[in-house]
Amino acid sequence: MEGCKRGNRRAYELLYELHAARLKSIAFHLVGSRADAEDAVHDAFLKVYRAMDGFAGESSLSTWMCRILINCCYDVLRKRQRQAEQPVKTEAASESKLPLKLALERALERLNERQRIVFLLFEVEGLRHSEIAAVLQVPEGTSRSWLFEAKRELKRSLMGKSA
Amino acid sequence: MRFECGDLDRALSTPELMAEAREHLKGCAACRREYRLWTEISAAAKELHEEWESPELWRRIRESIDAEPKPKPIWWKEWRTWAIAAVVLIGVVGLAVMRPWGRATGPASPESSAVELNAGNRDFLTEQALKEVEKTENAYRQSIDKLSKLAEPELSSASPVAVNYREKLVMLDSAISETRANLDQNRFNLRLQTELANLYQEKQQTLRELLTRDQKN
Repeated sequence: MEGCKRGNRRAYELLYELHAARLKSIAFHLVGSRADAEDAVHDAFLKVYRAMDGFAGESSLSTWMCRILINCCYDVLRKRQRQAEQPVKTEAASESKLPLKLALERALERLNERQRIVFLLFEVEGLRHSEIAAVLQVPEGTSRSWLFEAKRELKRSLMGKSA
Repeated sequence: MRFECGDLDRALSTPELMAEAREHLKGCAACRREYRLWTEISAAAKELHEEWESPELWRRIRESIDAEPKPKPIWWKEWRTWAIAAVVLIGVVGLAVMRPWGRATGPASPESSAVELNAGNRDFLTEQALKEVEKTENAYRQSIDKLSKLAEPELSSASPVAVNYREKLVMLDSAISETRANLDQNRFNLRLQTELANLYQEKQQTLRELLTRDQKN
């Protein structure tokens, strides 16, 4: 972090190597395409670079970057909405016939934003509730409660399809 | 309480109910299916992590970073703070010493009067300069007190962020007290005055950061 604060390019490259994979995956699930996810990660790193000097270290670097990335994803989605280029999602003929992974992806799209983000961060990317609480700036109990709501909704959705 | 199918959701969020839920699952195929799905969701979620090669992404980021203005190194700021403080103090003291103020001291020989006058002027004028520094310090302290009051609600929270800030502020307050105590022994020490000014500045900056951290991060 000190290297980054001094503007050392190698320090930023290390930061990229450490965090890019997870950030790309999170962005992919939020924006829905690899190209847009890469744009969001690019923008996030640039914002990190610009704001590094003011980063006081009150949260960990990874949660701070994650928070910036989520905001960048929203920017990408807003931009896409303005350009009205949102790709039309192809509906599966019968979700009950889909393997669980694919059915889960579809069901995730129907969750509300907060439930989806908490589910992605906890179940998919393996963040702890304390980290999610820092990223979303909510109490840890709220993170737990949103995760439970998300899983309950997913279960209902998947049960409904298979019933 | 008799456990029924509708209680499964509640049991999944309440570990104390899970023993009863497990008993119920033994005899209820529908709930068993539902419970299996609940655990399978977590397992399947791990497979949703998406990884792919992006050979161009780091190059794009690096190019964008290279196009940005370079951040000023940290030492530059510290150096600047010290330099400004030193220049101000030297200036104040220098001006004070050079100003041709006199002090009547009663009859004495011309040589001893001149020496006494110079020594007297220097003491008196240094005292004047010090009063100015102390006046400024008081104003600074009042401004920090105001910031501290504003930050009180944030600081009283139990969040890890607030705990970190509280610890930092306690450390700063202790350093300020220590420096002040040293200054009481040697009020004319420029290095201690500068150190105290830096500590106040650090405290003010910390409080400002706390009050504006939502916008910043």
